[in-house]
Amino acid sequence: MLDRRKTTDTTLSLDDLKPQPRKRRPPRRPPVMLFDPTRCTGCGDCVTACEKRHLSQNLPAAAAIRVLRSEESGKNFALFCQHCREPLCVAACPTRAIEKGEDGIVRIDRRFCTDCGLCAMACPESAPLKDPVTGRIEKCDLCDGDPVCVKQCPEGALKLTRGKAFGWIKFLRWPVQTLSFFLLVLVFTGTFCYFQAGAVSLQCPAGFLQNLASSRTLWLAGLGSAAVLVVLTLMLGRVFCGWICPFGFLLDMVGKVTPTFGLPRFLKKRMIKHGLLASAVGTGACLGFQPFCTVCPIGSLCRSYGPNGILTGAQMAIFPAVAALEAGERRSWCRYFCPVGAVLALAARIGLVKIVIGARQCKKFSCMRCADVCPVGIIDRSALQQGISPKIPTSECIMCLRCVDQCPYGAAKIRFRWQKTAPGETVF
Amino acid sequence: MECGKCVAVCPMAEMYPDFGWKMSPRGVIRRTLMGEQILGDPVIWHCTGCNAGTEVCPEGVSCRELIRGLRQLAVETGEAAPIRNCVLCGAPLLPRPVDKYVQARLGNSVGEYLDTCPACRQRRYALRNA
Repeated sequence: MLDRRKTTDTTLSLDDLKPQPRKRRPPRRPPVMLFDPTRCTGCGDCVTACEKRHLSQNLPAAAAIRVLRSEESGKNFALFCQHCREPLCVAACPTRAIEKGEDGIVRIDRRFCTDCGLCAMACPESAPLKDPVTGRIEKCDLCDGDPVCVKQCPEGALKLTRGKAFGWIKFLRWPVQTLSFFLLVLVFTGTFCYFQAGAVSLQCPAGFLQNLASSRTLWLAGLGSAAVLVVLTLMLGRVFCGWICPFGFLLDMVGKVTPTFGLPRFLKKRMIKHGLLASAVGTGACLGFQPFCTVCPIGSLCRSYGPNGILTGAQMAIFPAVAALEAGERRSWCRYFCPVGAVLALAARIGLVKIVIGARQCKKFSCMRCADVCPVGIIDRSALQQGISPKIPTSECIMCLRCVDQCPYGAAKIRFRWQKTAPGETVF
Repeated sequence: MECGKCVAVCPMAEMYPDFGWKMSPRGVIRRTLMGEQILGDPVIWHCTGCNAGTEVCPEGVSCRELIRGLRQLAVETGEAAPIRNCVLCGAPLLPRPVDKYVQARLGNSVGEYLDTCPACRQRRYALRNA
């Protein structure tokens, strides 16, 4: 309601007429329309159906879906509003005519719309379409949850869905992480760094490098046991970091309770961990012992429990410091500092598998769920906002499979590194 | 007729803090009719080209068409046109003031796609995803 007192001595602004909508939690599983370019024949039945959707109510309407046909590539593409989680058109509209409803559908309020077209300018795919004749702006409103274009598509290229994520991978990962935590910390005392059970021996590759540098002796048994983890990383990526590392599990646990405040920019360099590794090996060669291993949080965690499990001096300080980093960003230690991760990153760079975000299934800027759940933050938000499916660097991916688990449209997949995943993409 | 209905509905009032009589559709029409030098005035580049004024005008004046004509004249007479062009096809995209407003409203989330016209943007999006 208009307040008379406001009009007398203050200037009236749009806030008095139509207040800025409060930030609401988006609905968990909003309805979305999926488009399969491989099925589309470019017939344009969706456009015709969309034009006639208000025929019975005798309301003017233009098509809110556009089919782009490419003669050279022979590919067709249907453009329509994706109903973003945080729509940019809402922010850009000068009259606040666009609103995201409780049901997740972004609608244009015809009473306020002035057909200025700024929403089309703000949209990454220009989904609000401007009728070239009347200049009217038309945008998909999903026909309030029952789109006619989906019903009319003869090839079934358009599909209405609420998305279905796997959701079960986390029930696999958490037990594995818990089990390896208890095994490495509580059962095999002092293990992860080096342990031997009969003929099987395992060694931390970063520790092996430092040992090599400090003692200047190559132990063949040590080489073999250090190679186990490297070979595992070559085959499966950095699964050690995501699934086995006991300290990673601890960080995941800490991260579940602490909020994130972000880190200063100078710390956010992924090369720091390689530098730490190099300096650890270098100082190891100079000093003749393994300096990093004495403060390594992973090793200290393993040594902290047991008959002679005592944390002393610097080890006591390193734990709160690294746990505090978790309040900066999720898994900040693993992202930027961990030298063990650095060795594995070198191996994973030439590894066999990669995680891909499929260009066709991915809903890009409208969803960004993968970027939200990624604990190491390697999914490029700005690429998603540009409408490009992001490339995931294998060396930084810890293969926790959270993105694969959580993607509602099955776009995040595990692939071999030589498999092509996006149109026009070069592999290798 | 000076009813001022177009000024009441003009979205520019919300977009620019320095919105005044000079920038308002009524002011622009008035000054055009009085034969003032309006072609070199930057205010004609503030309009978004919306349909609001045309819809409410009892006399059927289309301020959208008027502004379009004024801009065309301004370009023809050699005035510097503050227009942002599409980086791909070179088509005029948005007048600078409107563009500034859009960028300010989108804040940090602006991407390079803002440099392209809707047609190019759609084509590029389709090429990337088809």
